[in-house]
Amino acid sequence: MSDTNQPVIELEHASKIYQSVYAIEDINFDLFPGEVHAIVGENGAGKSTLTKALAGVVPLTEGRLILEGRECNFNNPREALEAGIAMVFQETSLVPTMTVAQNLFLGEEKFFNRLRELYISAQQFLQGLNFGVDPTVNVAMLGAAQKQMVEIARAVLHNAKVIIFDEPTATLTPEEKQHFFKLLNDLKEKGVGVIFISHALEEALDHADRITILRDGRHIVTDVAKNFNRDKVVQAMVGRELSGKLYSKHASTKRRPRGKKILSVENLSMQNIVKNNSFSIYAGQITGIFGLIGSGRTETAKIISGVVKRDFFHGGEVYLEGKPIRYRVPQQAMRDGIAYVTEDRKIEGFFETMSIADNIYMGHLAIAGAGEAILSGKTHDSLAKKWINILNVKTLNADARVVELSGGNQQKVVIGKSLCQSPKLVFFDEPTRGVDVGAIQEIHDQLNALADQGLAVVVISSYLPEILNLSDRILVARAGKIIEEFSTDEATEEKIMYAAVH
Amino acid sequence: MAVQRSDQNSVAGSRIKQFIKSLNAAWFTQERIVFAIAFILFAAFSVSLNGFFSVDNLINLMRNVSVLGILGIGMAIVVIGRGIDLSMIAVMAVSSAWTLQLMQNGHSLGLALLGGLVCALSIGVINGLLIAFVEIPALFATLATGIFLYGVGKSTLLDLDVIYLPENLGWFEEIGKGRIGPVPMAIILCGVAMLAAYLFLSKTRFGRFIYGTGDNPLAARITGIPVRVIITAQYTLASFIGFFAGIIVSTAVSAMNTRIFHSTMIYDVILVVVLGGIGLSGGKGSIRNVIVGTLLIGTLLNGMTIMDMQYTMQNLIKSLILLGAIILDSFLHPRNEETAQQGDI
Repeated sequence: MSDTNQPVIELEHASKIYQSVYAIEDINFDLFPGEVHAIVGENGAGKSTLTKALAGVVPLTEGRLILEGRECNFNNPREALEAGIAMVFQETSLVPTMTVAQNLFLGEEKFFNRLRELYISAQQFLQGLNFGVDPTVNVAMLGAAQKQMVEIARAVLHNAKVIIFDEPTATLTPEEKQHFFKLLNDLKEKGVGVIFISHALEEALDHADRITILRDGRHIVTDVAKNFNRDKVVQAMVGRELSGKLYSKHASTKRRPRGKKILSVENLSMQNIVKNNSFSIYAGQITGIFGLIGSGRTETAKIISGVVKRDFFHGGEVYLEGKPIRYRVPQQAMRDGIAYVTEDRKIEGFFETMSIADNIYMGHLAIAGAGEAILSGKTHDSLAKKWINILNVKTLNADARVVELSGGNQQKVVIGKSLCQSPKLVFFDEPTRGVDVGAIQEIHDQLNALADQGLAVVVISSYLPEILNLSDRILVARAGKIIEEFSTDEATEEKIMYAAVH
Repeated sequence: MAVQRSDQNSVAGSRIKQFIKSLNAAWFTQERIVFAIAFILFAAFSVSLNGFFSVDNLINLMRNVSVLGILGIGMAIVVIGRGIDLSMIAVMAVSSAWTLQLMQNGHSLGLALLGGLVCALSIGVINGLLIAFVEIPALFATLATGIFLYGVGKSTLLDLDVIYLPENLGWFEEIGKGRIGPVPMAIILCGVAMLAAYLFLSKTRFGRFIYGTGDNPLAARITGIPVRVIITAQYTLASFIGFFAGIIVSTAVSAMNTRIFHSTMIYDVILVVVLGGIGLSGGKGSIRNVIVGTLLIGTLLNGMTIMDMQYTMQNLIKSLILLGAIILDSFLHPRNEETAQQGDI
């Protein structure tokens, strides 16, 4: 990248208004050929809108889009793609039932479309990019990283000058991430301009040439990555110094000792996802469970809380306070005081047509006794008030719909819905996924408070700093079972990761 | 979303305009649009059609749609719970016809009613079990059970297509034929059923659970709602309501014609529910929507009957009104990636 170069794409005074609110406001942005440009910001800062405007997915309300010196106006993503701007979405846009080759050439097929030809040219093309993907395999069979490779290959095939990635590494394992960033370098050498959105600040700091930080839809700063460090980025993102430094292990706080043994799991098995898993959970502390995707940690939590069932034969034993348990439905677990806060709040977390208050009340109703067959407006309102207050949900009133909230506040509502059932053991599965930096701190504080109150808190996370910062005790899962336990004193990122991948 | 600022005067004007626009869009729900269409139609018919705006005709209008309204309640409960019940007409026809048949065969009224009720409820329970436990899509499960019930009715339970009501049944006949003052019993029963359904859906825990299940079954399960029980119960309830509607029809005309199964009535019921604004994606709408939908269909059918319009033409107009209401709604509430909801149709 050199300053004499002309930017491949530029935005001037770009604004986008959704329902009378600015999603992005007066933003200037440019990208040079062969540059990796990271966009970071809290949820709702306008990152997605900005990139969608570049890729022609949403039209700008005001402002100009300049591609290689000429002003452009894309009506749809197809026009942008033809002009050389490709976007790789968070949810992949591949057709799962088609093969890799068919996906690569989707929309470009000749009139007489012979599969053999397709496979040969796809194979040549993929090898040219040094991608190890079999073109004859159905996309549904591929892992997240391979799907992403196919998406990238498709973008390159269309001679994209600019490739935009929306949270590319969210679903990747560490090795896959490394491979991905190697790909970025290859693209860079080819002179392709790359934009990527990321929540993981280290990625932006390590792999981007320049970083642009957005906040509340406005442009805060753009600078060369070398001039940033973690604190500066966080400060620019949230516009304030975070009081308790996020993810920095503060030695001053004392680790909580083990309380009573609440849960003991012996030889838990479910198909080949969870295999002979044994561990115990204690009250009054936070147990962190780290593991890569596919290590069976989510499934283990779901079995214990009754969401899924363990194997009927040789499924192992679960004891809650010494009493053997086997649940058919989560309601039974809930009545015994086990709650599971899901990792995917949109799919199985909240009720989207309902208000914040209704969502929290629903949690209460689910375990309420027969005496509450008739709804009570009073309980409804007081519960909402109580939990909005405790969790500091940022909303004008309790009757706002949950879908209108930011990711962090949605997560707080989902947590409130579980906590109002007054559990003694709570599983938090990826409690801060898709949550902005400010809310992460608040959720962490909340988890610590719960443990201080004597609850058994289990945090499942694939983000190491979160595990290290929160846990009083760290369990590492691999291939369907807990394989190692660390005390927080001996745990380091390297040790945990080594145990998790081995 | 970005924080709204108001420090720029030049933008403030357009902001206010946008605010008014967004207010309007929020105000014009499908329910209100349909209500407005019903009102306009009503006014137009009153002015242009002879004999439309008279007490007799209006009572007649209401009586004609009261059965549709009652069936609409059952359908609404199921649709709010993210399902659909295509077997309702079969249940209505066969269960009430069997009640009449049992009486024809010399059984007592009580036993006959019990037989019809058991017939209806068992289909409801089967629907529920198939959908909640076997996890068959509601569309196919209820389509199949409806055809099955009609087949069983024709082949074994019933002697003829049309079963007549025995005479001199006293209070039982009053259900369909009776009047309180000038108001036919059917209208009153429809009103009572709507009130009961309204209270059930909005004031009871069970009602909330139906909304929760319809909104997001996975979240409902994780929250601790007994989803499968709720689904089974909602189909059983719909079948019960079908039986109730069947009794009203058969006592009103002193017979039950089971060929009604082959009519377009089930589509009219769905029309009432969808037109009223109860989303097929579940979790949305209330009994108010059923009332609005019923009023529109009632006005329309009555007006078209007075105009002596052909049956085919009537269907054409119904379909256009449904399309119109849905298109208008999608214009006023454009769906983009920001507002789209999972499972939205």
